[in-house]
Amino acid sequence: MPAMALLSGAIETLINQVLSFDPDSQQRLEKLNHACLSVFIEGVPNGITLHFADKVEVSIENDAFEALEQNLAAQHCCIKTQLAVLPELKETSQLTRLIQQKKLYLEGDINVAQQASALFKELDIDWEEQLAKYTGDVFAHQAFSTAHRLFDSLTEFATKGQRIAANAVVEEKELAAHKLAVLHFCDEVSDLRNDVERFEVRLAQLESHIS
Amino acid sequence: MSDHQSVDKTLPAQGQQTTTDFGYKQVDKSSKASMVAGVFDSVAAKYDVMNDVMSMGVHRLWKRYTVDCAAVRKGQHVLDLAGGTGDLAAKFSRRVGPTGSVTLADINLSMLKVGRDKLRDQGLIQNLEYVQADAEALPFADNTFDLVTMAFGLRNVTEKQNALNSIFRVLKPGGRLLVLEFSKPTLEPVSKIYDWYSFHVLPKMGELVANDSESYQYLAESIRMHPDQETLKEMFEKAGFENCDYQNLTSGIVALHRGYKF
Ligand SMILES: C[S@@+](CC[C@H](N)C(=O)[O-])C[C@H]1O[C@@H](n2cnc3c(N)ncnc32)[C@H](O)[C@@H]1O
Repeated sequence: MPAMALLSGAIETLINQVLSFDPDSQQRLEKLNHACLSVFIEGVPNGITLHFADKVEVSIENDAFEALEQNLAAQHCCIKTQLAVLPELKETSQLTRLIQQKKLYLEGDINVAQQASALFKELDIDWEEQLAKYTGDVFAHQAFSTAHRLFDSLTEFATKGQRIAANAVVEEKELAAHKLAVLHFCDEVSDLRNDVERFEVRLAQLESHIS
Repeated sequence: MSDHQSVDKTLPAQGQQTTTDFGYKQVDKSSKASMVAGVFDSVAAKYDVMNDVMSMGVHRLWKRYTVDCAAVRKGQHVLDLAGGTGDLAAKFSRRVGPTGSVTLADINLSMLKVGRDKLRDQGLIQNLEYVQADAEALPFADNTFDLVTMAFGLRNVTEKQNALNSIFRVLKPGGRLLVLEFSKPTLEPVSKIYDWYSFHVLPKMGELVANDSESYQYLAESIRMHPDQETLKEMFEKAGFENCDYQNLTSGIVALHRGYKF
């Protein structure tokens, strides 16, 4: 129980901190105009409710989805879904499809779900600027260019590594077949399939002649 | 800020006790309120800082848990009694929205002013009202609120049963009361450490941070004099509350009592 309070407190702090990094999020928050969104994940005992005001309040729901959906106030939207589906909710155009596929149960005001989704999806955070607040511009700039360079080198290294590993497996260690050999093999299999089909037809013709 | 200071306290009936506890001291009932007022006048400015320091931030979790248990909905009317610097009121204000209302009531003007300034600084204005009031004689009509909360306030009240009766009156049928208050630890080792902390560390911290060890000595003593979990539950029932229960938090250092008016 206070463990749940700790969890909701941590989620609340995280959400508000992230929103505070994007000055435009306040405007999107205002659009939500004191709405609230309850989210239930299948298999998780408690849902959480996000109350959108000047900041976001997060509370743990003691009621189940089925109880809550019975008496929803205006501007309250209640959704139930699976953990794996959560990232798909960012695409508001997908909501109807998910509902049809029974991957999402939604009760109440769908606009709330769409605006809440936009609140997070449209986040535009200048992380370098955020770091600069604590470390100064020069350090933040250097840290970010180093990080970019490091990221580029790592990506290059990973791509190269993949190529080298593929070569090693195919050419040197001969653990796997070469791409061309695989294609050739596929062609041969398909020729054989055709031969077999032709043979089956002729066999059937011969049978009908005899009888 | 409305000023509804209570005036209808009756004189004690013959044979009724005329003294009450103020920490470990016995004082005249008529003087407890002003002595409590003295304590909170003196701690008001440093109250929030001291709460964080003394409880190592855990009071925030206890309060958050209380607000979650309240499960208020948009448009409801909430009374945060003995609300002090408004931690609970701020959370309720965001949750009930502009169609609901939150009344922050406290007997002490200094605490109420600190609370009002804090909430205004957070931009919370539209659905909040501030009322100076005594919990024993609430200046509200019968059946006004969907929810009343009282966090760490009840043990300071002179006649706790009067306060519970008064709260019952102002609650709407179907409404509920949540009282968050220090209680009796359920585990012996916790109790020992807690006693040592309260009587040796707390007053010293009070001295150091708020330059006021006496108020924090009172805090520790008043906690020990407060009714335990079961006694408080019985007091709820005596006031007319139904479906009463309580939940121990942090091994009973604090308990959250809940009762409904049907
Ligand atoms: C320890 S503070 C709690 C403040 C706040 N609820 C919190 O949890 O931070 C206790 C409050 O109870 C108030 N109080 C004491 N006696 C009271 C009474 N009879 N009626 C209303 N409030 C009272 C005090 O003025 C003080 O603000």
